[in-house]
Amino acid sequence: MDSFTPVFCGIVPPHLLDKLARAGDPAVAAAARRTLVADAAHRTGRRLTTVTGAPAPADEVVPGPQRTLYDAGNTTGLPGTKVRSEGDEPVQDATVNRAYAGLGATFDLLMTAYGHDSIDGAGLPLDATVHYDEEYGNAFWNGEQMVFGDGDGEIFLDFTGPVDVIAHELAHGFTQYSANFTYFGQPGALNESVSDVFGSLVKQYTLDQSADRADWLIGAGLLAPRVSGVALRSMKAPGTAYDDDVLGKDPQPATMADYVRTGRDNGGVHINSGIPNHAFYLLATQLGGKAWERAGRIWYDTMTSGRLQVDASFADFAAETVEAATARYGRGEEREAVVKAWSQVGVPAN
Amino acid sequence: MRIHVRRTGGFAGIERVAEVDTSGRPDAREWHALAEQAMGDGRDTPPVGVPDGFQYQLTVDGTTVYCADPRLSEAQRQLITRVLKEGS
Repeated sequence: MDSFTPVFCGIVPPHLLDKLARAGDPAVAAAARRTLVADAAHRTGRRLTTVTGAPAPADEVVPGPQRTLYDAGNTTGLPGTKVRSEGDEPVQDATVNRAYAGLGATFDLLMTAYGHDSIDGAGLPLDATVHYDEEYGNAFWNGEQMVFGDGDGEIFLDFTGPVDVIAHELAHGFTQYSANFTYFGQPGALNESVSDVFGSLVKQYTLDQSADRADWLIGAGLLAPRVSGVALRSMKAPGTAYDDDVLGKDPQPATMADYVRTGRDNGGVHINSGIPNHAFYLLATQLGGKAWERAGRIWYDTMTSGRLQVDASFADFAAETVEAATARYGRGEEREAVVKAWSQVGVPAN
Repeated sequence: MRIHVRRTGGFAGIERVAEVDTSGRPDAREWHALAEQAMGDGRDTPPVGVPDGFQYQLTVDGTTVYCADPRLSEAQRQLITRVLKEGS
């Protein structure tokens, strides 16, 4: 299990690895499969080495994920039948393998970038159910596990397709165990935004992309070919992800000037999340480099500071990001970039 | 009987609305029984639900109740599925 093929090290998204693992070329398939089944301790060790430039102590045991995948068999019974446990070989069902890999990628980012062991910081096992209900065009976090539908095929494809969607759901668990924002109104939109931020960061991390190279899209690859749109949300340009006869137009605002007041969707949690999403994008691109390093670190520190109320407003959250940036990086360019990013979306940060 | 379903929320945050008018339908009696059961299982105010879960608003002849994934009764699930599929 110690042999890696360098080409697959952390730059190929799990879903592509999964595809490669089933490729016709035995060499490609074997290499991809090795990478897929490699346990997270190995990957974490490698990653730490590349980040720190120094080998990890030989006796250090780096925690790995404890993943369990279930198949609901197109019913609504949860969790369903156990189909793959931690360390098991890939199974025939690509949906199961994609979810497994996506959970692993999310675990990896939290562990290697922030030293956070699983979503609760204490090694919580990661459970996910796939094939929930029939033609179910959604995925959600039920407070204990992730649930993924197959999509209806008309508008939505399989929800385990994009790694950022998998990471988005898992990040709801991270939020539940950290700031625990109420799922309504502004704290609800923050809850959604944090899931989009870490969803995008996991995608960028698996692709080893810098902020200026990332697409900053959420759900790219989720929309069926007939839909006019590139994704469900754009952090770079909220409101531009889709414009379709059936779906309508992406309703996300980028700034407070266009904040949407509504009672639907828990007070517009998937709509107004565009504002903190865009602030994060502005911060990450202003700082440059890998977004999960400084920008992501500031957001992570904010979420785990223990100082945010469950009903935090955008302004409360913004002020805390300034505090977090100052605490970690001093009164330098990071703090300045955070203040500027919030200012650009119309949220007071002081 | 007019059975109206509004679905909001979900990962995509995209709303869907559909309605079935049972008058003159041969299976009207079946629809009525299902709708009554589903309405009886509903709540007067929207439950908070779970992150990215769908929220539903069921309106039958002017009366509205609420429910949310994944905690739907079997009647609610059946009614919602049928209205969203067959309604307009």
